[in-house]
Amino acid sequence: MALRAAWRARAAACSLRAAWAPAVPCPPLPLGLRAGAARTLRTGPALLSVRKFTDKHEWITTENGIGTVGISNFAQEALGDVVYCSLPEVGTKLNKQDEFGALESVKAASELYSPLSGEVTEINEALAENPGLVNKSCYEDGKLLLEIQRIIAAVNVCRI
Amino acid sequence: IVKSGLILQSISNDVYQNLAVEDWIHDHMNLEGKPVLFLWRNSPSVVIGRHQNPWQECNLNLMREEGIKLARRRSGGGTVYHDMGNINLTFFTTKKKYDRMENLKLVVRALNSVQPQLDVQPTKRFDLLLDGQFKISGTASKIGRTTAYHHCTLLCGTDRTFLSSLLKSPYQGIRSNATASIPALVKNLLEKDPTLTCEVLMNAIAAEYAAYHQIDNHISLINPTDETLFPGINSKAKELKTWEWIYGKTPKFSINTSFNVLYEQSHLEIKVFIDIKNGRIEICNIEAPDHWLPMEICDKLNSSFIGSKFCPIETSMLINILHRTCPEDDEVHSKWNILCEKIKGIM
Repeated sequence: MALRAAWRARAAACSLRAAWAPAVPCPPLPLGLRAGAARTLRTGPALLSVRKFTDKHEWITTENGIGTVGISNFAQEALGDVVYCSLPEVGTKLNKQDEFGALESVKAASELYSPLSGEVTEINEALAENPGLVNKSCYEDGKLLLEIQRIIAAVNVCRI
Repeated sequence: IVKSGLILQSISNDVYQNLAVEDWIHDHMNLEGKPVLFLWRNSPSVVIGRHQNPWQECNLNLMREEGIKLARRRSGGGTVYHDMGNINLTFFTTKKKYDRMENLKLVVRALNSVQPQLDVQPTKRFDLLLDGQFKISGTASKIGRTTAYHHCTLLCGTDRTFLSSLLKSPYQGIRSNATASIPALVKNLLEKDPTLTCEVLMNAIAAEYAAYHQIDNHISLINPTDETLFPGINSKAKELKTWEWIYGKTPKFSINTSFNVLYEQSHLEIKVFIDIKNGRIEICNIEAPDHWLPMEICDKLNSSFIGSKFCPIETSMLINILHRTCPEDDEVHSKWNILCEKIKGIM
């Protein structure tokens, strides 16, 4: 499954590369990230995996071209008790900024926006029965997308 | 500082067209320093929240019989019944200025400006209660990238008996993660005071909104099908009408129920286990006693249902096709018909 998904990502990257004319060697920053606006957290021994935040309060960590997405503690507090998580189907291809789902809390549906372009290869199934995990553990058990494979050529994160 | 803002009122009573206006304003208008109030009413319709299950929330059979429309809105919250005795109010702002309680307080001020003795209070769950007990308004909202909207109902003179029967689901054995509505005792404002008509209240709310935002008290009538005013709006309305949006967006659920058929002066129990995803049957297990209907026929029925819409119309078509391709005797056919009628009844 992972191999097939990886092949799909590479194939998509090839067709995208033809259409995309990069002017800079470094890939464009995900939506919302501006110099000075992003905060990084070291999450492991390797410096490959850092958590980046958008100004819409989604976060992403990437490792070898595979991203994990969730919402920040600030966002989950502002939302209140999450009663429903609407996440995309595995296999969905997202562009940066695309709406990929919604979180519902006290009658408000808050849209979720993709911080990067990629194909969703694994979602957090636990949220279907237990949406409150987003409040209790937004960086671990309450993650939204467990795996989203980048459809952009570069692999590693760009330092700001 | 020149204050800016808009008060719009729809000339249409079509729920899909009116919901499309909300989508359009949310997607296209720059609301920075320019909030918008949208007033609308619908012909009889049931409106479910974004993440709800219509089978769990309303009587779909009754709605089909009576020609009541079903719509799924993009905001959260519960199920409501709209008719011309109900006013819908949508408050559009930037995300920063999103404040449901402020909007509800505005509505209360407007009501009290018409009838100072009226006892209406907002609750913590953003309902409006009359005399501390009757719900006269329910709220829902949607928060986007940079804009947000808060909409609420207001019961002036809705058919309450019909409302109760429509919002009562007859479907048994549903297990679902969908957000569930909380039933409430409702009352119409007209029952409290006959001067509180829809027209009077819409004007009062518009006036209060204009005063609060220091803008002209002028209601602009809009036609939600006008592509020159709202480019692309008709395709939004079209999307809201699709089966895929209304039924297909229902969170995955399962049905575990049974019904009885009469056979030789006794009742036989037929068990039904169905899993539905994206509105389509994913797993189907109809168990009828083998001496009543042969297992091969039951099995054939079960496998035929997989992938089809959980919908009585589609089921009828499916059954007709199966009839033609399966030569069976009359007795089996009539049992099949009975079984299928029962199955359609739970859709």
